[in-house]
Amino acid sequence: MSHRILIIDDEEDIRDVAALSLETVAGWDVIVASSGAQGLARAIEHLPDAILLDVMMPGMDGPTTFRELRKNPGTAKIPVLLLTAKVQASDQRRFADLGVEAVLFKPFDPMTLSTQIAAALGWS
Amino acid sequence: MDPIDQNALDQTLNQALDRMWAQFLPQMEERVGLLEAAAAAFAANQLSIPQHQAASAAAHKLAGVLGTFGLTRGTVLARELEIMYSREGGPDSLLAGRFTAIAAELRRIVGSRK
Repeated sequence: MSHRILIIDDEEDIRDVAALSLETVAGWDVIVASSGAQGLARAIEHLPDAILLDVMMPGMDGPTTFRELRKNPGTAKIPVLLLTAKVQASDQRRFADLGVEAVLFKPFDPMTLSTQIAAALGWS
Repeated sequence: MDPIDQNALDQTLNQALDRMWAQFLPQMEERVGLLEAAAAAFAANQLSIPQHQAASAAAHKLAGVLGTFGLTRGTVLARELEIMYSREGGPDSLLAGRFTAIAAELRRIVGSRK
């Protein structure tokens, strides 16, 4: 089954590889945004099935973007997966406590990223 | 998935990743350059706060991306640098040689991917 995913990441290389991976391996539709603010606008406009959200971004970071998504009735129920290069346990606990569906880690394997997302969201 | 289909998918993805690597190589090299410059400045006790911040950000970004392109060792080394730069009170001056060595190894690793 095809899904529509919004990737929000300020790093173009990560954004492009993730989009390539999800489009090529899983055949999903991918929308991209390069900032939290742009991501919020795209989420409202496209209402994706899930959002892959980078943690560290200039301006509105991932946790702030997540809270804004939850405040908006139109986007409040969209599942959000955080994507982070932080591996320290304290960071991981802090991110999990936000209430996101899952925390995924960089670097990811482009061949299995869609499987990780699908497993976290219970998509068969 | 049929093994033949899986092989075709692997090939398609790997070819696309190779093209992306070529596209982003200048960016990777620029990040390594920041780490080399910061390591040299640190060894000379001249690491400025902006340079420290730039090096920390470059290490973080390389840690997050190199493994995605199959350069797992690069991610491990960049992560080590990121942790060293984020040490409370600033980087440990006794480790100046390690900063230089990691930056040089990252240069080699980035240059080794075709």
